[in-house]
Amino acid sequence: MEVLGDLIGGFATALRPEYLLLAALGVTLGTLVGVLPGIGPALTVALLLPLTYDFDPTGAFILFAGIYYGGMYGGSTTSILLNTPGEAASVATTLEGFPMARAGRGGAALATAAIGSFVAGTISTVAITFLAPLMARVALLFQPADYFALMVLAFVSVTALVGRSLVRGMVSLFFGLFIGLIGIDVLSGQARFTFGVPQLLNGVDVVVLAVGLFAVGEVLYVASRMRHDTEEIVPVRGRVWMNRGEWRRSWKAWLRGTAIGFPFGTLPAGGAEIPTFLSYNTEKQLSRHKDEFGKGAIEGVAGPEAANNAAFSGVLVPLLTLGIPTSATAAILLAAFQIFNLQPGPLLFENAPDLVWALIASLYIGNVMLLILNLPLIRIWVKILSIPRPLLYSGILLFATLGVYGLSNNAIDLLIMYALGLAGFFMRRYDFPVAPVIIGAILGPLLEAQFRRALSISQGDLTVFVTRPLSLTLLLVAFAALLLPYLPGLIARIRGERPESGRTVFSEGEED
Amino acid sequence: MSEETTERRRSFLGPRIAAIAILAFGLFVLLGTFRISERSGYGPTGAAFFPLIVAIGLLVFGALFLVRTTVLPDRYLGEKAATEGAATYWPTVGLIAAVLVVYAFVLKPLGYIVATTLFFPVVAYVLGSAGLRAITRNLAIGAVLAVIVYFGFTELLGVRLPQGLLNPLL
Repeated sequence: MEVLGDLIGGFATALRPEYLLLAALGVTLGTLVGVLPGIGPALTVALLLPLTYDFDPTGAFILFAGIYYGGMYGGSTTSILLNTPGEAASVATTLEGFPMARAGRGGAALATAAIGSFVAGTISTVAITFLAPLMARVALLFQPADYFALMVLAFVSVTALVGRSLVRGMVSLFFGLFIGLIGIDVLSGQARFTFGVPQLLNGVDVVVLAVGLFAVGEVLYVASRMRHDTEEIVPVRGRVWMNRGEWRRSWKAWLRGTAIGFPFGTLPAGGAEIPTFLSYNTEKQLSRHKDEFGKGAIEGVAGPEAANNAAFSGVLVPLLTLGIPTSATAAILLAAFQIFNLQPGPLLFENAPDLVWALIASLYIGNVMLLILNLPLIRIWVKILSIPRPLLYSGILLFATLGVYGLSNNAIDLLIMYALGLAGFFMRRYDFPVAPVIIGAILGPLLEAQFRRALSISQGDLTVFVTRPLSLTLLLVAFAALLLPYLPGLIARIRGERPESGRTVFSEGEED
Repeated sequence: MSEETTERRRSFLGPRIAAIAILAFGLFVLLGTFRISERSGYGPTGAAFFPLIVAIGLLVFGALFLVRTTVLPDRYLGEKAATEGAATYWPTVGLIAAVLVVYAFVLKPLGYIVATTLFFPVVAYVLGSAGLRAITRNLAIGAVLAVIVYFGFTELLGVRLPQGLLNPLL
């Protein structure tokens, strides 16, 4: 088994003390930002990115992977105790988790979330270990035209399947694509949309973009509603553990959640929100305790939490093997790879096998660390939830400004970030999804490059995208994804019924 | 949908302004595209082709969004905008935005430590952490954070931050 040999090599690297330390730092930071409402892993990785320029890439990615995994564990704590999901993928968890906490069963809810996350995370990491090298081999056959089609598919599915409105998703996506255009065009050397500002020649830095949209946008939004919203933190009574009945009701839900979440994550279908709700509904259908749903059914926490973690892990497969990010955090990880001069994709496994396998090994290690952080040490995180909100949000703005100012010591970058923050505020207000902006800005330039490369290979012949079977198939799937949400309404109309709404909403589509 | 939801309050003023802003932005991108194309033309392999697509995308979806706020109103959006409108306290948003812009400009002349020591309690105050005791405490927290960040970044991480007023001391 070649894979096992590679994996053992990865463990040998990842178990070195300095990498273990970075993994521990990553998962701790990740849990912290996952617990804190208003900030998430995407923002954190972006903020830490400039600090890791001097690191060796392996260390940097072990740190980022820790943050990525930690964010998912931490998010569940907030959903269960605060009824405010830390990120969109935790919304389903609040449905049963918060009622459980109010009924004094918060300990069991936290335990099933943490253990479920561990089970799902570990199974998914095993799946990544064996699936990713296979995918990479398949991806070697891809040509520029196919990559173009694949990115179109990723764009369409991220905007069409996530969020309440296709129109608003598309506006977000095109806004992101515009931001990606700013700067010098790599192929022609021409400056585009720089408005004579020299700082814009290199484009809008991913740190500026992510910090503006996520940190400043979120703080302005919360600030606008501060006098209106009140929140209630439910204290955790008793032990964070489960009794026998709760174990019996949880384990199947964990496995089903994993089975639903992982495949969804690997598809370019927009992250973890859809599978968490699918898992929730599955558990509700299968449960022998249907009457408990809505009042605190443990399956309703176990399933979605497992699905959440499995989907987040699955997202790493297209990211590492194809270079296609399907969530905001994955897009920022892609930007991180580019900064280290690594291009995720099939060649990553050939060009940087040490890094890839150390990264995968660190996912196993990180999961174990997170289980420890989130079971015996959970009370520390619960305390952090009680930081007064004005201080928390002042602190977020302080670190957001620091992260951007540290890049260049330049007030113009700060003003661009604040302007993007204002845009983020209005996007939250009028329900425009934020993730397509980030994905558009980071993937857009790659899409343009593949498009122009494909056309120069075909000598300007536009049919190149529809004559290759692979790219044609991908474009057709993209088209189908665009129409899919309208299908239930259409079928109802054909049957002569009045549809409830024109377009089916799969998920709310917010991500921090 | 039940009767109850259709009767819920809706408001489209904000979304309509947003739609106009998106259209104006699309137009702005289109004008910028013309300036790029002066040198490279619109060929599909040229530098102006993608900007043109982005401009058209913004205009088309901006127009569709305008339709969803007027002729074919999006029920959910209207309700969301109405509840947001009721919950929003604009002075807080304006003040925070103003404090941020001031912070961006005073960082250099005042220096990181002084500017941040003041920034933290001011934002906390705007967000509702008022009262003499809270303000004193926040000022102290701001000072401690500023000093830790300054020395941590300049000494340990090698990131340059402005010294400003404290230049003679640091």
